Amino acid sequence: MPQAKRLILAHLWFAFAALAAAAVLGVWQMWARSPLPAPFLTAEAYFASVTAHGTTMAYVMTTLFIMGFGYYVAETALERALPGRTWAWLGFVLGVVGALMAAATVFAGRASVLYTFYPPLIASSFYYMGVVLVVVGSWIWCGLMITAMAVWKRANPGKPVPLAMFATVANAILWLWTTVGVAAELFFQVIPAALGWNLAIDVGLSRTLFSWTLHAIVYFWLIPAYIAFYTMAPQAAGGRLYSDTMGRLAFILFLIYSLPVGIHHLLMDPEQANAFKFLQVSLTALVVVPTLLTVFTIGASMEIAGRLRGGRGLLGWIGALPWDRPMVLATGLSFLMLWFGGLGGLVNMSYGMNAMVHNTSWVTAHFHLIFGGTAVIMYFAISYAIWPVLTNRNPLSLRPQRIQLWLWFIGMMIMTLPWHYLGLLGQSRRVATFDYANPIIAAWGPWVVVSLFGGLILFASVLLFLWNLLEFHRTPAVIAEALRARYALAVHPPRRVPSTLNGFALWNVLVFIIMAAAYGYPIAQFFVIGPPQAIVHRVDGTR
Amino acid sequence: MPETEEAILHSEFRWALVAVGMVSVIMLALIYAGLVQHINPPSNIENIDPNTLHLTGEFTEANLGTSVDATGQVTSRIVATQFTFQPQCFVVPENHPVILRFASPDVVHGILITGTNVNTMVVPGYISQIHTVFTKTGDLLMPCHEYCGLGHSEMWATVRVVPKDEFKPDAAGRASCASG
Amino acid sequence: MAHTQPEALDQPWRLWASIIVLLALAFSVVFGFLVLPVVQGHSVGIDPFTAICRAIGLSPGSPAVDQPRSAAKAEPTTRVAWSTDLLRTLSRPGESSLATADVCAGCHGARGIAPTSQFPNLAGQSAIAIYKQLHDYKSGSRVNAIMTNIAQALQDEDIINLSTHFASAAERGLDQKTSEVVDEDTLRLVERGDPARGLPACNACHGFNSGGPIETPSLSRQNKEYLASQLHAFKSSDRRNDIYTRMRSIASKLSDREVETLATFYASTLAY
Repeated sequence: MPQAKRLILAHLWFAFAALAAAAVLGVWQMWARSPLPAPFLTAEAYFASVTAHGTTMAYVMTTLFIMGFGYYVAETALERALPGRTWAWLGFVLGVVGALMAAATVFAGRASVLYTFYPPLIASSFYYMGVVLVVVGSWIWCGLMITAMAVWKRANPGKPVPLAMFATVANAILWLWTTVGVAAELFFQVIPAALGWNLAIDVGLSRTLFSWTLHAIVYFWLIPAYIAFYTMAPQAAGGRLYSDTMGRLAFILFLIYSLPVGIHHLLMDPEQANAFKFLQVSLTALVVVPTLLTVFTIGASMEIAGRLRGGRGLLGWIGALPWDRPMVLATGLSFLMLWFGGLGGLVNMSYGMNAMVHNTSWVTAHFHLIFGGTAVIMYFAISYAIWPVLTNRNPLSLRPQRIQLWLWFIGMMIMTLPWHYLGLLGQSRRVATFDYANPIIAAWGPWVVVSLFGGLILFASVLLFLWNLLEFHRTPAVIAEALRARYALAVHPPRRVPSTLNGFALWNVLVFIIMAAAYGYPIAQFFVIGPPQAIVHRVDGTR
Repeated sequence: MPETEEAILHSEFRWALVAVGMVSVIMLALIYAGLVQHINPPSNIENIDPNTLHLTGEFTEANLGTSVDATGQVTSRIVATQFTFQPQCFVVPENHPVILRFASPDVVHGILITGTNVNTMVVPGYISQIHTVFTKTGDLLMPCHEYCGLGHSEMWATVRVVPKDEFKPDAAGRASCASG
Repeated sequence: MAHTQPEALDQPWRLWASIIVLLALAFSVVFGFLVLPVVQGHSVGIDPFTAICRAIGLSPGSPAVDQPRSAAKAEPTTRVAWSTDLLRTLSRPGESSLATADVCAGCHGARGIAPTSQFPNLAGQSAIAIYKQLHDYKSGSRVNAIMTNIAQALQDEDIINLSTHFASAAERGLDQKTSEVVDEDTLRLVERGDPARGLPACNACHGFNSGGPIETPSLSRQNKEYLASQLHAFKSSDRRNDIYTRMRSIASKLSDREVETLATFYASTLAY
């Protein structure tokens, strides 16, 4: 049982409480957008809700979960106590205080700027400072992850860092690089405007800085799911990880290529030029590669498990897998959603097709599916896997866990597939009420209702998830010996790996070089050209 | 499957080549579209001061809408502002190259035109420019698709695509939904 | 021994990683910065240098299409333009002796609260809104028999002082006994707008936390007759100094009855 279990549980419970609260808002939002009359629906209420839902799901739930899971990996994979636990608690407190501060400001109607901030719309400074506190808390986590790995390496010279920890630290380093963009935007532009020090803002620069963060952050969210794919799913299936080396390589490729691609979120923007858009789209093509590698490696690992259980034939091993185990089931469902979400991503990155879907419901559907689906279903599975170790209790039954995962998958598919279709029909984003009397818009109505139904299923899944976690505390503790974390073994566990696959020095240098090429002039141009600035529009009730 | 580590890495490497091949095909398709059909994302580093947008020149209120210049080039100029487009309806000819130019005097907006691949952000400080051809006649919807404030949901315009023979600019070269 | 072996393992990784990254960058630069713009420009007669400049963003336009020529100038509907300095000036509290003199107080009241409903209250109004309207009267962008002459006699400094003076004056109080009962339809227009007519909620600009256009005036506790007359003026386009038809496009979609009920609402409702 990890020594930091209270720290870990605190993070995870806060993350999931936030998830539940944001889920309520999500259901209301879908209801508001549908032809069915919804209560409390005003423009003010809707956009405050969208801001709260987005901020919670994107910044609070994710960061707190990833921090807690990271502390868990640090203690169990490295088999040592977490260094600097007091610092970790400080990081947690900053995260909670920041989240509550931001939430309070949003619910007071003084921060309806959406989680993407949209300057020159400027909210109350308390909102931004709340977000900053969450990020600063996560930076403490990054420092502790890097420290934990460094301490372990010194105590174990020449030995390969366990893959789960290597990947976690890759994620921590990715996060440090990622947050530079949004931190620069907030510290130099948005917060000074919110405090009244600037009355105008360079919108092109802020959008570009935010784009730096906007893509890499989704990999920050996704990597814990991949950690589960590589280090937990093969073990849960009773097999072995096909290749430890390829695992390390995949995480390294994510670190390098998640960052210099943010401008693909600005493909339709006037302030960036063709050549740099092409450059970043080419690099985006490369960030597809580690996912493709993962699909192969994990597929092969599962095949090992399936054949060990007697599966025969080209695909017979699939049926032989132990689908009754939540981690295996979640991995399968996650891969299905990854297929759809990944295809959607390929559409988004090609600018001819992107022009048909940009800022339509397709985009919303895409990220709910790939993040809410592929990543978050693995967050659930990870929780089911680590709760026994954290609480030293076994679940009463695995059946409610499987039901919850199926509900999440089914709900996500029902919610997002029609939503993709609506985007192709031209339904635009962030609209509180549609004019369903218009014949073009009326055709969308039935599909919006179907999506709403999917959202309700998701909400039921969230409630069942919380119930399943609480159930753990109703079972008696395992007395005999502490339940231990078990990570997947590779087919050939490496005795030694090159230091490039055991550390990040070279990769940080390459990240710096690529970022300079991809973002150097795109950011510098704002200082060279000095475009006109837009006057600030305050949404916090002050002039 | 007692594969050796070497065999494992070999199969992974072969798959990596397939993966890189697949993404290369995507990039080649993009390059092909760029070279042959001139498909580019709408980029136009052309600055204009949002605070004086309404005062003089191209984007004064009376100058907005569709106009045809002496060489026959059709250009539509539209302003996106909180919370309306000006003009709220503009007319374009079918099957004729059209240049759309958008600007904002205040916050970020964006537009798409339903049934087409016309899509761009409208960022204060910049003129967004799209070169396109409308291939089907009728009234199309043009919503603002980027959050611009509490009135965003009601910010819609109409694009009227008319057959070429019905597209009749006046003596000054201006065409509007009422006439055209 | 443990020291040299990982280094021998490292060499190929370092080498190949750097080669691949640099190759990826080189591919992108060659195609994105050179091949695509030059080929695109060539087919429409744009020289390679211009095409590349456009592709990098050093000049406006597309590398694949000619730039449109700029169009003729036209008369603007207002001559006021905002700058950060002006906004800062207008945000400071101010005083003006003109405000209490007969020239203003005669119609707008000694404390900015008008004695009759056809003239607007100025007390507690946005300084920015007042500034714009005075300048618009002065330049002829907005026309009124009385205000045009008065405004033309004012200097810019007077206008600034008047604006800040009235902005810091106390708003008109509301008599609870005369506050009218609000009907559902009016409240819906104020809080939700009407998607069918493309009408944003009035709150979307006039609400306290809207983040709408900078010169948006506050409507609460304004006078009913004045509000109604302005909505009618926007509706008929007699008043044209709203930038880019922001109010004309809204007022033209309101029925006469809605104009009346909205004017009553803002004149008398406590909550707003």
